[in-house]
Formats: sequence, structure tokens, C-alpha cells
Amino acid sequence: MQSTISPANQTEHSINSAFASHFAKSMFFTIVGLAILVFIGTRMFSHIDLNLYGYMVGTIVFIGGFFYRFIAWGERPPTKIIIKKGLKLLFRKKTVKTAVNHLAIYDFIKKRGFYRWLQHVLIGWGCILACLVTFPLVFSWMYFTMADNGYYTVVVMGMDVIKVKADGIIAWLSYNALNISAIMVITGVCMALYRRMKNMQARAEQKFIYDLLPLYLLLFISVTGLLLTVQNVFLAGFLQPQMSLIHQFSVIVTLIYLPFGKLAHIPFRPMSVFARNYREHYGEQHMKECKVCGNHFVSVEQSNDVIQVLDVNDIHFNMEDGFNLAELCLPCRRKYRISRFSGIPTHQVKHKEANQNARG
Amino acid sequence: MKKRLYLELENCIGCRSCLAACTQCGGHEQRNRNYVYDVNPLVNRQTMPLMCLHCVNPACARSCPAQAIQIHETGAVLSALVEKCIGCQNCTIACPYGIPKFDTEQNLMYKCDLCIDRTKDGIPPMCESVCPSNTLQWLTDEEIEAKNQQFNLDNGKWVTSMPYLEGETNVRVNLPGILQGVTKLF
Ligand code: SF4
Ligand code: SF4
Repeated sequence: MQSTISPANQTEHSINSAFASHFAKSMFFTIVGLAILVFIGTRMFSHIDLNLYGYMVGTIVFIGGFFYRFIAWGERPPTKIIIKKGLKLLFRKKTVKTAVNHLAIYDFIKKRGFYRWLQHVLIGWGCILACLVTFPLVFSWMYFTMADNGYYTVVVMGMDVIKVKADGIIAWLSYNALNISAIMVITGVCMALYRRMKNMQARAEQKFIYDLLPLYLLLFISVTGLLLTVQNVFLAGFLQPQMSLIHQFSVIVTLIYLPFGKLAHIPFRPMSVFARNYREHYGEQHMKECKVCGNHFVSVEQSNDVIQVLDVNDIHFNMEDGFNLAELCLPCRRKYRISRFSGIPTHQVKHKEANQNARG
Repeated sequence: MKKRLYLELENCIGCRSCLAACTQCGGHEQRNRNYVYDVNPLVNRQTMPLMCLHCVNPACARSCPAQAIQIHETGAVLSALVEKCIGCQNCTIACPYGIPKFDTEQNLMYKCDLCIDRTKDGIPPMCESVCPSNTLQWLTDEEIEAKNQQFNLDNGKWVTSMPYLEGETNVRVNLPGILQGVTKLF
């Protein structure tokens, strides 16, 4: 792709050449960034909770796996285009709305079925909630101190933010946030497992490693997490250190697995916001007219991008009739194929395509 | 014995059974993913089916930024993985035959998966199972070769690939007699 090699990149070149690969560079800057954040959050390392050390290692392994996957993925020509143009269009007004829709309330999943939407909300938000509580604690970006009796001070990034009553509602919610998230995830996972047992199509297609393992892992984490609370509250901490290790182990295994299996869609999903912006922005700018019927069917930009991506893959669809196949709207492209099969110029016949929907 | 989908286009009588059968395949959620076209609508009633030909080097999958379109070990090019598809519609623009369909509400692409839950076990796809006119057939490579011998055409036009298609495909297509310059006897 010529467009990516511009003079502006020359200055970056010197920084890039200091690292063996994109991977090394991203890894380096992320770990440094993380270390700085921990440094600030812990008031210069004076307040680290070493019980959570295992999670810290797990997170770093996860980051490594994530970059490895993401960079390999981002090198593919079509992905590169979406990432590049998506970043450029990030500050559109519609971004916020699309992001909330795609990443928070999952409207499009509701259209695929209410049951699946509910299960996704429970699992998704259960996990987000758990991460929002766990990771700030792990890296000591947030912790609690008790100066006055009966009041906790919440310290975020080294600053005292609020004082809460130790038996108040906010404190209760914070102690129980992980229990609530565990119950959400368990409910969601059970719904998903039930669907996978009952739905014949799901049963025919599912693979253990891809479809079931992530569910079992989430279940494993949530159940061991909840058991910790049970041991604490009802069994006076009986066998709690052991369970705590098992729980930590389950989280670390999941973090390592995450970039490679089905759960990888979590870090990659924001790309759907890029894709929407890309379609909307270039669609408003200039639409492509079908070379046969003249209907607008896609943005000029996307049509060109697809032709270019296919060229890189050594796939060329330039026809003798003087167009590229990506320049025909879909009905015309199908009719054009029929004409190639039959020798009759079907696509030139001014006749609306017959109904192609079996359900009328 | 590995069998493949094989189309004898001009046998089509336009009954659209294949479209109806497609809706009934597991996972297709009542929506068909194939097409039946009138060849010369204002002149005669000849029709031909059109479906994904399961390219060996599929443009749809190559153009997908999310790697949502997987290629099964049988060679079938699968429908988008629901959790991966980001809804960019590149695949619909890339496919040389205009096959992938897009659901804007669900923000999801769906296309023929050759009824993978069936064909992975050697059971023919739904469309082939119901076709009353032998337009769609499920044959081994030997059987396809035998048909080739039977017609004994040495002009390279018997089974389409290049130059009638844009690349090698896993589904085989038999060009109509008109293009072969022969009248076929059944
Ligand atoms: S015919 Fe189109 S949809 Fe089917 S594999 Fe080829 S490019 Fe993909
Ligand atoms: S619409 Fe979905 S399947 Fe098609 S290219 Fe985009 S991400 Fe891939």
C-alpha cells in the first residue's frame, strides 16, 4: 500500500528502529506505562498489596499475548485500513452513541434474540464490573485506609477521594461488588450453557476449546470467588488461603487464554465502532454508482479499499466489460454472473430481480 | 468418499425448492442464503440458481478485517462468526458473485456455509437434498469425472472454472450446453 509510506513516517523511523519489532515496542511502552501508573497509585510504591502479586504477573502475560495477537492481526491489509481510517475518524460526533450502542448496551445482540442478549449482558457486565474492582486493587490504583474509626477513606491514584461510612451503603456495595458480579456471571454462563445443550445447531457446531472452555473458565473463576466469600462469612475463613490460590490460578489461566480463544472478541470489539464510522463518514462523502444500473450501493472509498485489499492478495476482478466486480451493486453482480453462465446479457435486461427471499 | 456440490445449471425449473430448504437448515434462522435468477426474464422462463461457490482463495475472507469468515477443513467457506463480525460489509463488496447478505439490524453478515453441520459428516446440503431437477447434485470427484467422459468434450469448457469463474472453486459448475456448443442429452 503506497499510501502508508509517506514522508511523515520518516521521523518515526528512528524510534521504531530502536526496537526489534512492533511487538517489542508496544510491550515496552505498556509495561513502562503500567509501572508509572503503579508508582503514582501506590504513592511511590509505599502501598502495594502483595497478596495480589499473582494477578500482576497474570496481567503482564496477558498483555504480551494480547499484543502478539493484535499486531499479527493488525498487519493484515483489510484490518490495517480499518484501524488507520477508524483512528482518523475517532472524533466524530456519532462515535459516543455508536460506542455505547455496540460496547455497552449491545442493541445489535438484542436483535439476534432476547435470550442471547440477556446472557451477554450478564456475562459482559459481570466481567466489566469485576475488572473495574480487581485491577485498580491489583495495581494499587485504588485502596482503602481507615483513619477515623468507622470511616474508610477511598484512595484513588494516590489521592484521598471520599470518606465512606464503614457500614454505609457505598461501603457495602464495594465489599460486595465482586459477589454481585460473580452471581451475574454465573447466571449468564448457565444460560449460555443451557442454550448450548438445548439448541441443536449450537450443539452441532460448538467446539470444546473454542465455545465451551471460555464458559467453564468464567464459571470456575466466579464459583471459586464466591466460595471465598462463603468461607469468610460462614466458615470463619476455613481453607481460605488454599481457595484464594485456586481462585488466583483460575484468573491467571483465563487471562492467558483470553487473547487466543473466543474471548478475544472483547479487546477486538471496539473495531466495530471504527467500521461504523468508516461506513457512515465515507458514505456521506461520496457514494459509488453501480456501473450497470447506477444505484448508489457503497461509498467510493470502501469500493476502492476493497479493490486494493484484493490486489494485495493477488485477486483481481477487472472484467473485460470495463469494470471491476466491486463496482457493481449486489443484484447486478449476481445477474452479471448469470450472464457469464448463460451467454445472455442478463444484467443488461431492465427488469427488477425476482424475489429472492423464500419467506416472501 | 469426499463429495462436492455440483451444479448443472440449465436443468433448473425455477421451483425455488432450494431457497425454501435453505431456510430450514440449522443455524440459518429461517432465512435463505441462495438465489434463483431468471436468465432472460422478458423473453423466456429459463432460471438458474446461484449460490456461494466456496472459492479456494475466497475474496470474502481475504477482505474481512476481523477474520470472521473461517474456512472449514472440508473447504467450505463459513458464514461470519457472530462474535467476530464487526459489520463493515467488506465481504459483500469483495465477493465476485455478490453472495454474502448483510443484516443491518443485527450488524451481522450471513452467507451459505454449505450446511456445514451436514456436509462435515458427508450429508449433502439442504438445497441439494430437495432439488427435483438434478440441477444440484452431490457427487464424488470420480462421478464428476465420469460425467466429463460421458460428454467427452475436449474443449476445456465442460466444468467451469477459469475463464468463466474468477478463480478455482470447491463447488463445481457445469456450463450450459449453449456455451459448450453442444446439445446435451439426458
Ligand atoms: S463465492 Fe463469494 S461468498 Fe462464496 S467463498 Fe467465494 S467470495 Fe466468498
Ligand atoms: S461484514 Fe463481517 S464478515 Fe463481512 S468483512 Fe466485515 S467483519 Fe468480515
